[in-house]
Amino acid sequence: MFLIECPWCGERAETEFSYGGEGGITRPAEPDKLSDAEWANYLFMRTNPRGAHQELWNHAQGCRRWFGVERDTVTYHISRSYVLGDGVKD
Amino acid sequence: MTEWHEKRHGLEQRIADWTSRTGFTISVRDDLGHLNLRGDLGSPGFLAAAEETIGQPLPQAPNTISDGDSTIFWLGPDEWLILTPAEKAANLADQLESSLSNQHAATNNVSGGQIALTLTGERVREVLAKGCALDFHPQVFTEGRCAQSGLARANVTIGSIGGDNKFLVIVRRSFADYLLAWLDGVA
Repeated sequence: MFLIECPWCGERAETEFSYGGEGGITRPAEPDKLSDAEWANYLFMRTNPRGAHQELWNHAQGCRRWFGVERDTVTYHISRSYVLGDGVKD
Repeated sequence: MTEWHEKRHGLEQRIADWTSRTGFTISVRDDLGHLNLRGDLGSPGFLAAAEETIGQPLPQAPNTISDGDSTIFWLGPDEWLILTPAEKAANLADQLESSLSNQHAATNNVSGGQIALTLTGERVREVLAKGCALDFHPQVFTEGRCAQSGLARANVTIGSIGGDNKFLVIVRRSFADYLLAWLDGVA
């Protein structure tokens, strides 16, 4: 069983969670001033790294809160999970 | 109207048939009203006002229960479920609404949407573990703890309260019949 640590509820089974895509992406403050390419980059382009990856997860079947996770895409090892707003980018 | 909604299930007969066959008992807690309370613990005055109105502390540690006249489940860092005698629920909701009117808070009476079941019996932990990934060991899921999780694919809130082998399971009303059928098969 793959366990994911919710910052509030602790370690729970993967089946309780839903994945929310890559984390740490900041919405541009003034979207109107971006070129189409820059806007598309913000909307669609993701890093898809081999190794450490910032992710968003939702504890859907538990406390239903969003939080951030740093997971290794090769080993699936989760090095930390954290409350959003408490340092998405260190 | 409320009464009509709150009685719309046919679980009693099933349970009676079934309790006679197994050593595991379930009772439908129609005597409880359900209130969902949301509010910001960081907002000055919220906690004091809520606790004064309810008359007992809100549990602040994740996945714990505060038991008193009402039973309060921690659902999230800003969300609680208050189980209170059904006849008092509407009144308590109104009181919370007015005492928290100057707060960014919400009280919702969800009695019509979900149902509480009390599960008791020596094998209750085994039965729950059959359909849920949580650890139900008596030293882990101790009295006063609660958790939201999936039980046989239905979303449930489970709390250990009132004794070692006694659990309160709160489930959506529309899933109650399914959950009963599942428990029937497992137990």
